[in-house]
Amino acid sequence: MNPDIDRLHPAVREARLAERLETLRSALAAVAAPASLEPALVDRFRAHRRRERSLARPRLWWLPPLAMVVTVAFVSWMVRVPPALPVPEADPGSAAAPAPAGAQDAGPFLALKPLERIALEPRATVVATEFPRALLAQWGLPVSPERAGEPVRAEFLYSAQGEPLALRILN
Amino acid sequence: MPSLPMPPWNMQPELTLLARMRQGDEEAFVELYRRHKDAIFRFAMLRTGSAARAADVTQETFLHLMTRPGQYDPGRGSLAAWLCGVARNLARRECAGREDATDPGDLADDATLAQDLVEANGPVERLLADETAEQVRAAIASIAPHYRDVLILCELSELSYAEAAQVCGIDIGTVRSRLSRARAQLADRFSRMGLMHGPGRVKEAS
Repeated sequence: MNPDIDRLHPAVREARLAERLETLRSALAAVAAPASLEPALVDRFRAHRRRERSLARPRLWWLPPLAMVVTVAFVSWMVRVPPALPVPEADPGSAAAPAPAGAQDAGPFLALKPLERIALEPRATVVATEFPRALLAQWGLPVSPERAGEPVRAEFLYSAQGEPLALRILN
Repeated sequence: MPSLPMPPWNMQPELTLLARMRQGDEEAFVELYRRHKDAIFRFAMLRTGSAARAADVTQETFLHLMTRPGQYDPGRGSLAAWLCGVARNLARRECAGREDATDPGDLADDATLAQDLVEANGPVERLLADETAEQVRAAIASIAPHYRDVLILCELSELSYAEAAQVCGIDIGTVRSRLSRARAQLADRFSRMGLMHGPGRVKEAS
């Protein structure tokens, strides 16, 4: 053991020790980390974030956005360009009346069913017919009360099951 | 079922910063760095005895925080204590060659081995402008590493005994006994260096 220390009273020894440690504490208070560390660490943080993001992103990350774009484009095209009505097949045995003369000048067909449903119909048939004008009101078409009793010449597009798909007024 | 220890309320701002940092918030990381950088640098400087190595240890400590924040468990102590623990491990790695022989069992009563280890590494780097403070630092650097750690953590880094115990991976009773031995070794060093003389003795001598 050190005889110099042994000669000191324990309280004095502790006081001196505390005093010296306080000197060191005061000197350390003025010590700071080098300023160059912060920008270097910030750069590393950014690089680390970039690497984390690239690892978190799946390799086929572009597939879902591309699928969405394609879907939107397809739906837009479907809405803007209604599917062409199928050309009725000539059916010699059909009871349908022949298309009246001047049918080419008639207006467009009015869809009574959704266009997708009509487009999917494989064997649609056009049938010319006459019916009271009052019936037009059932499909939401305007009817003048004075002419409600008059007959209307029209063409119906029927499905193979006999379901009316579309209607075209001829007069 | 035992309840998990809850972090104290005053740790919440720091935990919020930590959560933001984990989500990629650069400002939160910078704020955490600025809060702790000087304490970690001082600890590393005292532990390694070199400003350059202390800078390396400080940088590595915050890189560890950046890349492995999940290792910090708020239920086990403060972020400051955890960062000190990381810095201590890195400093030990830095000084691995010099401290291989510092097994506590070998050094418990050997006051000269650590001094020999320090002197064997050539001239000691001067780190502090104040002459007395630099002598005190050199005296602390010369005591056995396992005592030195506890002394630096409790006396100079202002960590509680519990936090020092967490950093060193020992129980609080061991912290107390090591601190007591560290102070005894330090008093011995001071005496050898003439630092135990008070102003009265100096005046008397002159």
